[in-house]
Amino acid sequence: MIKLKLNGVSKAYGATKALSQANLDIEAGEVHVLMGSNGSGKSTLSKIVAGSVKPDSGEILLDGQPITITGPQSARSHGIAIFYQELSLAAHRTVAENISLANLPSRAGILVDQETLEERAQHYVTLFDGVTGDGFSLDAVIQDLRADQRQLVEIMKTLSTEASVIIFDEATSALDRAQVDRFFEILRTLKQQGRSIIFISHRMDEIFAIGDRVTIIRDGKIVGTKRIADTNPAEIITMMVGSHDEAGAKPAGHSAPTGAVASALSVQNLTGRGFKDISFTVRKGEILGFGGLHGQGQSAVLRALFGAIPPTSGKIDLDGKPLDPANPRQTIRHGVAYVSGDRAREGVITGRPILENVMPIHYLRDRMKLAHPVVSAGKALPALQALRTKFAGLGFPISSLSGGNQQKVVIARWLIDRPAVLLLDDPTKGIDLSAKTDLFALIRKLAEEGMGIVLYASEDAELLDNADRILVFNGGSIRRELTGAERTRYNLYQAAYEAA
Amino acid sequence: MSDSAPATTSTPVSTRVAGFVKQPLIVALILIAALLLLGEALSPGFASGQQIMRLLIVAALLGIVAAGQNLVILGGREGIDLSVGGVVSLSAIIAGNLMAGENSGIPLAILGCIATGALFGLFNGIGVTLLRIPPLVMTLGMLGVLQGLLVVIRQGIPSGRASPGLANFVSQPFLFGIPGILWLWIAIGLVMAFLLGRTVFGHRIYAIGSNEQAAFMAGVPVKAVRIALFVLSGIFAAIAGICLLGYSGSSFANVGEQYMLPSIIAVVFGGTPLSGGKGGYTGTMAGALLLVILQSILVTINIDESGRQMVFGITLLVLMLFYGRGRSMRA
Repeated sequence: MIKLKLNGVSKAYGATKALSQANLDIEAGEVHVLMGSNGSGKSTLSKIVAGSVKPDSGEILLDGQPITITGPQSARSHGIAIFYQELSLAAHRTVAENISLANLPSRAGILVDQETLEERAQHYVTLFDGVTGDGFSLDAVIQDLRADQRQLVEIMKTLSTEASVIIFDEATSALDRAQVDRFFEILRTLKQQGRSIIFISHRMDEIFAIGDRVTIIRDGKIVGTKRIADTNPAEIITMMVGSHDEAGAKPAGHSAPTGAVASALSVQNLTGRGFKDISFTVRKGEILGFGGLHGQGQSAVLRALFGAIPPTSGKIDLDGKPLDPANPRQTIRHGVAYVSGDRAREGVITGRPILENVMPIHYLRDRMKLAHPVVSAGKALPALQALRTKFAGLGFPISSLSGGNQQKVVIARWLIDRPAVLLLDDPTKGIDLSAKTDLFALIRKLAEEGMGIVLYASEDAELLDNADRILVFNGGSIRRELTGAERTRYNLYQAAYEAA
Repeated sequence: MSDSAPATTSTPVSTRVAGFVKQPLIVALILIAALLLLGEALSPGFASGQQIMRLLIVAALLGIVAAGQNLVILGGREGIDLSVGGVVSLSAIIAGNLMAGENSGIPLAILGCIATGALFGLFNGIGVTLLRIPPLVMTLGMLGVLQGLLVVIRQGIPSGRASPGLANFVSQPFLFGIPGILWLWIAIGLVMAFLLGRTVFGHRIYAIGSNEQAAFMAGVPVKAVRIALFVLSGIFAAIAGICLLGYSGSSFANVGEQYMLPSIIAVVFGGTPLSGGKGGYTGTMAGALLLVILQSILVTINIDESGRQMVFGITLLVLMLFYGRGRSMRA
């Protein structure tokens, strides 16, 4: 029996088609897995079903009846619930309160009925008896809990909706083996009760352990649906890659440095929050790519190398000299550069002129005390022009520029005094195509001039097109190195989706 | 700007006029003129040359305190210095005792006061940055400490007197018929403009005030800059304390208390939002003058101290409605 049906559902963000003409059947009593690479559209799809994103067209049928989902509340009233990947717990409240946050039981409409609340919460906590770990109780405060315990609360909160369609988006990312096993047992119980589960995970082993069917999404289109029993990981990856492989993985149109070229940056056994035992070398003139799914430690490693969140252990050599990444100030002075994809938070100095946004690195590296506008302009202009930045004048606020041009200004900072190593942390996030083209042209030029470059790109195509070598991250460590002809989408996905 | 800037010339005149009128500095100057006229209407002689000079002297005292307040607020992250009043009082007492009515004691008094102001500023700065105490709480606590200290000091030490030289510096014509304190204020105005506009330190203040995380990622020593701002605020308050001693002749315990709220209002009036990151000292100078004139009008129409405090409090709240909502306080 089909519980939920999507008919030709589409959604576009500007010119980007996040989802086009998606058809999907979810049966009652099944765990339906959604698979797709970064930005393939599976998140958009689950958000549409959960009511937080409105589709542009198409229809949604529940139990055969067309329904309109106007928002999360409306989805809930139709019996659809979602587990949020970004934790949505109230940090200062207790486990019990959080579990029933969405519908607090009340007396006379205004007083919280503590007894019912705890009774209700207890039921969901009991489901996880034995795997919740130390310090977990009904009246434990969320902020005192570990990440895995918080994720369990999030799961309990989702379960407490008693919805008939539940979407679990990356619900197991912080859980240990025993917790995942228990969670799967609960899912099986839900199945027996005839409920439908939409399950999104990047762990191939989990998908084969719990899934009944799998639907593969690529570039916003549904590629196909398979019974888990009739398929295998290789086939799923092939479907995710599609025809990309013929077009992708083109050999880089330049001679990548080989053999005896000196290393710009060498990292040994770097360990810190979100990654462990990372070792690699970036040669001068090379663009080294970091690949894999979002949040597998790529960003964390780059930030640690820059000193933004210092690593706990490991050895770093920059140009043959040991580097202590105590803070960005320290690493900048030694010739490390870092560009964040989170422009608004970590890049632009909001509300200040373009000139002031270009100069801080030069002030620091040149140990300057005075900021003469004409002298500064003489330094800033060539850097901005190298990136073909469009701006009316250096005195204009940076907010007057488009996103792409703002990012160019932020990158121009690093061009006045050339760093030895440039760390790019998903630098093209949210910028237009022409800015991307300018950016990658510049990066290649910088590499050819002898800079060592590390590029993490969440868009796989960017990585395959621009990196000379790719290190695939999975679960906080480097899973595989792809060089030369190995740099294919298939290999990238295979390493990224392997059991961590 | 010497670079290509076609957009500056192509901005419609009407937009530029509107933008001009929205400049807090312009608003403040217009209000200053209006208040002077109002004062003259209420009490003829209010806007006489001698009277305006007196207003300027009082404004300079407030303006010097507000310079430090301005720096701390510019640095963002809810930066505010509520302890300025306490430092002003303490500085006035220390200066009075160190000079004890003798001109020869002035250098030592200046040195002692600035060191004291810097020390309390340093405590504030360390509390806010290294101990992560919110500025509001830290400086309010420091104000409490200072007030207690003042009570203790008053029990053992005479209040001290200003030397004739200092008193003349503050209230007698010094150069071109203008008292020394006004020259000092002008000098502070120039130094502040230079500091904020032309030094790397100044640019770093704006950077941490507008986006602390981005500034950190661009190698700005965020904590050191913020500590320096509190130290400077302490120093400016100490300088104001010395001048205040010269203005009133002798010091009394809570002589500086009146500066806390007005120094904040002057900054906000001058176009520096409490969220920091933009604005400057020129506007604050106008704001200080404006407040002093307002206060004088209130005195003229026989509003007592408590009434004046209420007017100031309401002024600040009304100002927040106009200028304070540009950006949410909590980034």
